[in-house]
Amino acid sequence: MRTPIRFPAVALLLLSASTLIAGGFQLNEHGARAVGLGGAFAARASDPSAIYFNPAGLGFQTVNQISLGATVILPRVAFFGPYQLNTNTKTAMDNQTFTPPHVYGTYHFSEDLHFGIGVYTPFGLGTQWPQEWSGKFITTKADLQSFFISPTVAYRLRDGLSIGVGFNYAVGTVRLEQTVSDPFDPHGTLALKFDANSFGFNVGVLYKPSSEISVGASYRSEVAFSATGTADFTPNRPVYPEGDAKSSLTLPATGYLGVAYSLSDNLVVEADYQYVGWSSYQELAVEFAGDGSKVISPKNYRDTFVLRVGAEYTMDDWQLRGGYFFDRTPVETPYVDPLLPDANRNGLNVGLGYRLTSSLSIDAAYMLLLMDERKAEKTVIDFDGTYQTRADLFCVSLTYTF
Amino acid sequence: MRTVRLFIVGTALTFVLWSGCTQSDPTGPVASLGSHAVTKYVAIGNSLTAGYQSNALYASAQQYSYPNLIAQQLLRAGATIQLFEQPLYGDPGNADPATGKASRLEILSLSSPIPSIGPRGLDPGSPTNTALGRPYDNLGIPGIPLASFLDTTNFTGNPFVDLVLRPSMFPKSVFQQVQVLQPDLITLWLGNNDVLGYATSGGTSPSAPTPTGTFAALYAQVLDTLRAILPNAKILVGNIPDVTTIPFFTTVGPAAQAQGINAVYGIHSSGDTAVMSLSTNLLTLNAQAELSQGKGILPSNPLPSSVVLDSDEIAIAQAAVSSFNAAIASVAAARGVALFDANALLKKANTEGYSIAGERFTSQYVAGGLFSLDGVYPSSRGYAIVANEMIAVLNQHYGMSIPLVDISTVPGIPAPAAKLGKGQIPQISRGALENIHKLFSTGVR
Repeated sequence: MRTPIRFPAVALLLLSASTLIAGGFQLNEHGARAVGLGGAFAARASDPSAIYFNPAGLGFQTVNQISLGATVILPRVAFFGPYQLNTNTKTAMDNQTFTPPHVYGTYHFSEDLHFGIGVYTPFGLGTQWPQEWSGKFITTKADLQSFFISPTVAYRLRDGLSIGVGFNYAVGTVRLEQTVSDPFDPHGTLALKFDANSFGFNVGVLYKPSSEISVGASYRSEVAFSATGTADFTPNRPVYPEGDAKSSLTLPATGYLGVAYSLSDNLVVEADYQYVGWSSYQELAVEFAGDGSKVISPKNYRDTFVLRVGAEYTMDDWQLRGGYFFDRTPVETPYVDPLLPDANRNGLNVGLGYRLTSSLSIDAAYMLLLMDERKAEKTVIDFDGTYQTRADLFCVSLTYTF
Repeated sequence: MRTVRLFIVGTALTFVLWSGCTQSDPTGPVASLGSHAVTKYVAIGNSLTAGYQSNALYASAQQYSYPNLIAQQLLRAGATIQLFEQPLYGDPGNADPATGKASRLEILSLSSPIPSIGPRGLDPGSPTNTALGRPYDNLGIPGIPLASFLDTTNFTGNPFVDLVLRPSMFPKSVFQQVQVLQPDLITLWLGNNDVLGYATSGGTSPSAPTPTGTFAALYAQVLDTLRAILPNAKILVGNIPDVTTIPFFTTVGPAAQAQGINAVYGIHSSGDTAVMSLSTNLLTLNAQAELSQGKGILPSNPLPSSVVLDSDEIAIAQAAVSSFNAAIASVAAARGVALFDANALLKKANTEGYSIAGERFTSQYVAGGLFSLDGVYPSSRGYAIVANEMIAVLNQHYGMSIPLVDISTVPGIPAPAAKLGKGQIPQISRGALENIHKLFSTGVR
């Protein structure tokens, strides 16, 4: 007789309860003019990027426009630790370059009725650590890409008052790689890939009570993704649940409230408060169809905000811009992890605008993004240490008016 | 224009100031030995100290013995120890006396339906570091009980004594060799074999653990001897894990239960055959081969006593462990030496699991990652965890800050790339684990 004895816990071979996607992956760089202003743009929204910042802004743009551009993002991240090994060893994240693009078109049917469509990436970025680093069981690579396609309508109700509404079709791709915590030599590696699409909406209002003051508010809804993807193991030992995997992710809602004031004929200042509903991200769960096991990673993000100020000085065909923002991290200390290590951010921005011809203008901006040094202690993933992050961002937009 | 100039100058200045300040490295743990110096480290113990795993002693595993790992970390903290020397046994390691072939267990096949584990039938290796002109720094001798530490005469019957002590070249006993080496740091992990052999043989060989009173007296004598010959050495001792929680005992019974088999026929040490509930009696890994031959199903064909640790034997083994540990704790505290609570570590692994940096370990056989294929001894990663827990105790007790071993760099169990039938426990070839309990019944009582 052969005693059939089964291995009870294949799932134990697998993923540690590790994190799979991290936060702080919101992007607010969707036009070089706004970037130069520290993102304080919702009270004016006076170029085609209004489709992102405040759709009501289109209501005052009585021209047809095509605008396109991109942001080049160069992050530099270093980890010191892990303290669990009583060490302060430095590991530099592999250098990567990200270039989220933006394209907008606007058309006015009349003085009051405006239409626009935009393609941009409100969430993205990624991290890549050395293959054999000490955090390899948590992550070696994470990559999130999203594209939003937003047909938008704006209507000017009367002089100085406009409203706008947009529909957002969103497509997203997530890739996650890590080493599997198994007893074998060599360890297996896991690559998860998810593709999904979903919908959302955005609305905005813009009010100009006088020629000096402009007030704007806008809201973008959550976008809930539910994805079926694949789990690929290398080598593919049959104890692993290779095959389909399921996950879900809700991108947070965000809202802007801004006031712009003209100090003189050629100097405008603006201050914005941006709310981000990150508490939509409480956990990340991946379910493996291969054996029905489920890995849940607690995230417990908190709602947060960004404070933005910007100034723009106009000189003939030139515009000079500067801005600053403070972005409070949604990630609380026990949940900081190397997938996208987050911290409070300070952004320092400068920008230039230049009218090349009567119908063609170019905007460029540079942002120095400094993140506070983040000391992660008593983390739920048992991976404590200190992260240092800074990033340089360059943004260029070209706008053609017709 | 004044506003413009102010704007430009202000912005430029801010940028220069912000971007100019490159971040200095954050403060964090700094490797150090505190106010101590370590010029010589010696490890005293049994097979656990030797780096024995997967039923054998072999060089590629000895490299990951906890003493060798600790020695490497001591160097990182500024210790001035020379090369840490071990009695290396060339791969694939020592022979099984019954077959003359290497006794090391390997995953032979991950093929369906039942993967198999066993010796590969290879010719054994031979010792490679025999010309070293001084005693080894790793004095872990597989199979020795506590009493052997003090023995100067009678080591017959244990082939590992010749390997480790080389009595023809050096003094015959462990403590005399320690005296020759003059270490200023000592780890001592002894006493496991005073109960482990009793348990792994199903209470048959030997038929009882070392008596509690004998153990306590011997332990005090061991530490007093060490103190007498090396009054200033820093000493760490390890206690005894509850042997009934190792996968050697916790694999076959629960797996049978999961298949609806709740009791087996087995023979008690008294010689009586009885129905044994799998909820209160433990089957050893060796029971699997017996079960697969049909034993245990009928009273006429019961499981032999040597593969069953019945409820009375479990109680005896656990009582021995707790009284040994009480003795170790009190002897250690009275002499001010550091104590590594191996029992607590294994209990944690067995209940909630042990996680570090996203890597997770449990006491589960093979899958848990902590134990080698014999189900008794740690894997290389398991030994790295032992090293880390000992380092943590040294750090705390002696005010040192020795970095821990990065377990993610320690190799696991070689696994063929072939297919493994999902959900199967590997079949262990019959007799492959026989010298596990032979090992514990050798040496001097």
